[in-house]
Amino acid sequence: MTCSDRCPSLASRLGSVWYRHFRTYTKDLVSNGFPPFMEPLIFLAGMGLGMAQYVPGLAGMSYLQFLASALVMTSAMFTASFECTYGTFVRLEFDKTYDGMLAAPLSVADVMVGEALWAGTKGAFFSLAVLLVISAFGLAELGPALLLTPAVGFLTGFLFGAIGLLVTSFVTNMNHFNFFFTGLLSPMFMFCGTVFPIENLPGPLQVLAEILPLTHPVRLGRAAALGSGWKASLLLDLAYTAGVAALAMYLAARRLERRIVK
Amino acid sequence: MAANAIEVSRISKTYADGTAAVEDLSFMVPEGSCFGFLGPNGAGKTTLMKALYGMVRRDPRPETRVSVLGFDPAADELAVKHLCGVVPQEDNLDAEVDVGTNLFIYSKFYGLPAREARERIAELLGFMELKEKARARVSELSGGMKRRLVIARALMNRPRLLILDEPTTGLDPQVRQLIWDKVRGLKREGVTVLLTTHYMEEAYQIADSIIIMDKGRRVLEGPPRELLSRGIEAWVLDVLDPDASGGLGEGPLSAGVRREEGGYSPRFFSDHPEALRELAARLPSGATHLRPTNLEDLFLRSTGRKLNDLQ
Repeated sequence: MTCSDRCPSLASRLGSVWYRHFRTYTKDLVSNGFPPFMEPLIFLAGMGLGMAQYVPGLAGMSYLQFLASALVMTSAMFTASFECTYGTFVRLEFDKTYDGMLAAPLSVADVMVGEALWAGTKGAFFSLAVLLVISAFGLAELGPALLLTPAVGFLTGFLFGAIGLLVTSFVTNMNHFNFFFTGLLSPMFMFCGTVFPIENLPGPLQVLAEILPLTHPVRLGRAAALGSGWKASLLLDLAYTAGVAALAMYLAARRLERRIVK
Repeated sequence: MAANAIEVSRISKTYADGTAAVEDLSFMVPEGSCFGFLGPNGAGKTTLMKALYGMVRRDPRPETRVSVLGFDPAADELAVKHLCGVVPQEDNLDAEVDVGTNLFIYSKFYGLPAREARERIAELLGFMELKEKARARVSELSGGMKRRLVIARALMNRPRLLILDEPTTGLDPQVRQLIWDKVRGLKREGVTVLLTTHYMEEAYQIADSIIIMDKGRRVLEGPPRELLSRGIEAWVLDVLDPDASGGLGEGPLSAGVRREEGGYSPRFFSDHPEALRELAARLPSGATHLRPTNLEDLFLRSTGRKLNDLQ
């Protein structure tokens, strides 16, 4: 008798991990679903009522549109990052969730790729929520964006989920996540073509911005949400995003496997 | 002829920090039996269990052979886990969702179709006497109910091997009895059970055969009753009041009485309770306690240490 006759397939295993997160997350859908709608509302109200009138339009759009179309992906980044740092760490060290899951026929890699897939799903959900909010302000057109934005949101969520898992694999004290959030995510939120175009940065910093992973999803997300500004170089952004996601996922799964299976 | 569910030959595990948790251990578990590992915390029981289902990477030694239901967990971890149910030492339920959903989520890990899963869940809730708690949140459950739920979860895929890592630690006597009862029932159905415990009583109640472990090594192995009858006298006299014991047994002892220095007062062993009663009569009543020996006495005798010493 071999296991391959009856053991669940890879797709079934990944799906089961995803399903576990889906059920525990949607149990509190109202409180969990509140932030993705509320945060862009607050941000846009503040920026739109206050700041935007002082800033001229750029790159063929109003400043508020520029800002709003970046929020779509930064929200995916933040939710995926929280899920796969604090969330994963609590499941790993405090709730011992993985000890239970890994007693079932799942490998550590199955569990971790499932985590990133779930982070991708949350990215898709958050980016869609932000899209709906900004389109209510007339800042984006619904249409193809309704499909394209969650698709890019999923990729962004998976990317930052995988990066979060890789960071978590190094962390033994939860406070160390501060270095990641304040040291990497906050600067990315400011300097990756989100609140101003990276062309405004000095030359060397432009190169740095191109290396940082958020820059590329923001470009993709902006095109997806606004339905304009399509160009061939977006394929490079797509390839870079997918490449970094795959690399981070591979390293994270390997390192966490060594950490969990001692 | 009963085949062996587990065959382990010369397994060792040394952690990265140099701790030798398991050292050169070999054992076989016949299918349908209950095999227990008894020992203090830190004896290597949990490490050994985890090595059997791939959650601990055993030392890669050429002489080591491990077969769990025909599979080597180092090579085919998923095959082993598909056929086993595991009750880990710590409850790790999903606190966000209710009892039934916990089980339903777990059924997905085995790829059970939803309909089959629902039938199985109803069956398991009945078996573990949790039926009326199906809609309760995990946080509303008592410790004993959580433990029963974890056991129900481990039974999801009708395992041929059930691994119980300290299944009743910290539970009240009624729940322990219930769990022992269920384990005996599963054994009758042909399920092989692997158990770790530091309760002598538990090993005595449900294990057909045990290994007493200390510091990663086997100290004794055999059926619990046999170990007791072979390894130690039938009766022991505990001296409860060490101050009152002055002079007791310092002179020559009657034949067949053995004196052992305990933690803070001597203890006297014999196969003849009359000899011990005679000894006790020299002390004020209430200063001694005569009782049958148990596995803890055996453990103490074999290792020189108490079974529940923390390390």
